[in-house]
Amino acid sequence: MRVVIAEDNALLREGLVLLLTSAGHEVVAVAVAEPEILPALLAHRPDIAVLDVRMPPGFRDEGLRAALAARRQIPGLPVLVLSQYVEEAYAAELLGGGASGIGYLLKDRVGRVEEFLDALDRVSAGGTALDPEVVTELLTRRRGTPLDSLTPREREVLTLMAEGHDNTTIAATLVITERAVSKHIGNVFLKLGLPPTDVGHRRVLAVLAHLNNAAGRSLE
Amino acid sequence: MRETVRRAGRATVQLALAVGLTAFSFAFITVLLITAIGTVALIGSWLLPEAVLLIRRIAGAKRSLVAGWTRQEIPEAYQPITGPLRDRLRTAVRDPGTLVDLRWMLANYAYGLLGLLALPLWPAGLLLDGAWCGLLRHRAMVLPLIGRLADLDAAWSAALLKPSPKALLAKRVEQLTQTRAGAIAAHSAELRRIERDLHDGAQARLVSLSMRIGLAKRAYERDPEAGRRLLDEAQEHAEEALAELRHVVRGIHPPILTDRGLAGAVLALAASGGLDVNVQADELEDGPRAPVAVESAAYFVVAEALTNAAKHSGSKQAGVSLTRTRTGLRVVVRDEGKGGAVTADGGDAGGTGLPGMRRRVAALDGIFVVTSPVGGPTIIEAELPCAW
Repeated sequence: MRVVIAEDNALLREGLVLLLTSAGHEVVAVAVAEPEILPALLAHRPDIAVLDVRMPPGFRDEGLRAALAARRQIPGLPVLVLSQYVEEAYAAELLGGGASGIGYLLKDRVGRVEEFLDALDRVSAGGTALDPEVVTELLTRRRGTPLDSLTPREREVLTLMAEGHDNTTIAATLVITERAVSKHIGNVFLKLGLPPTDVGHRRVLAVLAHLNNAAGRSLE
Repeated sequence: MRETVRRAGRATVQLALAVGLTAFSFAFITVLLITAIGTVALIGSWLLPEAVLLIRRIAGAKRSLVAGWTRQEIPEAYQPITGPLRDRLRTAVRDPGTLVDLRWMLANYAYGLLGLLALPLWPAGLLLDGAWCGLLRHRAMVLPLIGRLADLDAAWSAALLKPSPKALLAKRVEQLTQTRAGAIAAHSAELRRIERDLHDGAQARLVSLSMRIGLAKRAYERDPEAGRRLLDEAQEHAEEALAELRHVVRGIHPPILTDRGLAGAVLALAASGGLDVNVQADELEDGPRAPVAVESAAYFVVAEALTNAAKHSGSKQAGVSLTRTRTGLRVVVRDEGKGGAVTADGGDAGGTGLPGMRRRVAALDGIFVVTSPVGGPTIIEAELPCAW
């Protein structure tokens, strides 16, 4: 895969390049400040962009804004946003234009190399990768909603589903059969009152929209 | 006509109270004289501070009486009379407030009985105005004079009871000393908390992480399986250390406040709590940002208030408004819950974090007001001064 990286911290930048090249990917460009991001993406048209949220010159949310701008200019460009901390509000903004090809992960997750590379593949293939911390936040604060009626197993399945995993991975993670996963998902959708047909990123979006709506708000 | 009479009636009550207070201070002069003589004779020196305190009480009563009529506070500026007798005596004599009060008292002997004029005005007013205004439909002339009398009494008293600039300054110094001490105490408590969090959390985890990597290195050739297990554990410790660092950082200064400013951070806060929160912060979206300390305190107040609302109020909804005022930033958090966040005597109910908010706002010289009658609603208001 051809990858463009935007990361201002030299240590992390080198680590990322090392990790990606050792996994057989090609890092075609590296941006170290916000103004470099968009030109690099436009020039190289990579298979995926890996962006840090905080970038020079402002050290605020430049990476996030660049990701949104890039998705407007290059529709469907897979973007994996990395951050030192996760915010639900940012997740909502990223997913606002559709969940296809969107990743939002804590930088910590890079340490789990296999999982990180898996998320990278998923996002570049048009899937979704949401950080477990975002999903946990969404799940834990919704009290007094249909979520309460889920069994612990169904909650686990829902969490993994919201993170963007497919049935095969969910089955492998929970050490159950794929048929059991399908059954749990059917139950979850039934209990939450969602149409049961969706697959992949549309499914993620439906679940997230539901979680957000549970408190009376919509995913902007 | 009826309105005229009612207004005159109110003025009369005001004047009656003023006359009553004057009569009381006439009686008080005797005490004062005795005290003065006693002090000169060194026998009654202990009485002097008490007498000054009493004068303060009388002047205080007059201040609130006048404030009730004009709807305008008259500021009070006294130095506290405490400590051993010598200190109390010195403060009692040197406090500029004492002089102001005495001046007013003497003047009050002259104008204090002004209100008695209302007595003859009433029958005359009822008779004349009754005919002039009630029957002939002209404007009342005599009865409004009673209101004028009350106005006059209030204006003179306000002018006389206003503390001198020096006293105001002394009061301000006193207040600053207090809030600064509070700010420093809060600051060092905060530093200790951060130190403890880092020491017990991230630091300890990093030590054990380094230890496991060391062990894994040793096991690398002898027992690769054990080495791998140690590396797994090391990674877990690294992740936990990171999670704790994130937690500590959030506690020091929420990152989203840096990224998005106050309005954005409060919007995110509102969206992530369990409540349905309506945020009005349009004014802050553009234009200059408030200083970091002000934003940080405002965010703290909103976060704590929303936590309170979610935990104690029983309400499902809350409203937050952030507005720019000429002199600073105004924060209002309101919920329609069951109220009772402040006790009847104005103290803070336990476990609400209100003292922390109060301290934080006071450290920035702000105003912090909580209204929370039993039955609700609870309204928390903070005004944080800053230049825009």
